[in-house]
Amino acid sequence: MSWLRNPWLHRVLGVALGAIFVYAGYGKIPDPRPLVTIIWNYRVLPAGPINLMAIYMPWLELVVGLALITGFKRRAAALWTTGLLASFIVALGINALRGVNVACGCFSASAQEVHNAWLLVLRDLPMIAAAMVMLFFPPADRGRLRPGA
Amino acid sequence: MRGLFRDAALLLTVALVLGTGANLVPARHLPWWGKGHEPPRAGTDFNLIDPGSADALRTSLPEVAFLDTRSPVEFAAGHVPGARPIDYTEVQAQLTPERLRQLRTADAVIVYGAGDEIEVEQLLAQELQRQGLPPPYVLAGGFAGWQQSGLPVEGAGR
Repeated sequence: MSWLRNPWLHRVLGVALGAIFVYAGYGKIPDPRPLVTIIWNYRVLPAGPINLMAIYMPWLELVVGLALITGFKRRAAALWTTGLLASFIVALGINALRGVNVACGCFSASAQEVHNAWLLVLRDLPMIAAAMVMLFFPPADRGRLRPGA
Repeated sequence: MRGLFRDAALLLTVALVLGTGANLVPARHLPWWGKGHEPPRAGTDFNLIDPGSADALRTSLPEVAFLDTRSPVEFAAGHVPGARPIDYTEVQAQLTPERLRQLRTADAVIVYGAGDEIEVEQLLAQELQRQGLPPPYVLAGGFAGWQQSGLPVEGAGR
């Protein structure tokens, strides 16, 4: 499993996943108000914190995405990415079990983009796998690997 | 492990600072707590109307106000006859007392956007309803639906 600690693998995963998160956050930042409707439609949160989520989540996605791309605090960004994707999967899974297809609000704040909730869960799985690789298999310290180098 | 959580807290702090700063911009401000900002609901905050029925209202009532939420370029290229542009991101500045008075005296207010995505139009309708208007209509299908129905267009794109 040492290949999971390959620094190049982490760079590639970081850029790929980071680009997705930057794109996701950037699309929602100009106007967070439609996002309120989308989060509301998930029916998993009480009314109170919905606005806080609409205010801050796009910025967290953007910051985390940039950190993944640049490598600055990449492992911490992977921790946030894992947490965010896990929460998305839980919210989507609840609606999939309810038989409700929701507008995911993944890449835009369009309430019209309704998708099959199970497909959205499936789409998130490879992303959370990539985030978990970066979180749980940090690149090995070169000094420790090659003490004589 | 402590370093990991410290770094995660640093990223969160950056996001919190940026989010707070952005939410202080009046044009895109959201109330911090969700109470009082429930999503617009059909039948309560707005009513959907199809293009044919909207045109029937336009031609049968003396004063029907159409509000166009699209960009100025799109508006200039063609719009519903008699429509007035409105920018939702600056809605508070644009809903002057004079304009609200005009909208209140209209026989019907119909809000439309570009196409099928009508969430911004629903939010605008909700805002108008909060300002004391009866629930406005939101045009299903937007301007694209209006054109596809072969209804009259005013402006350069006729």
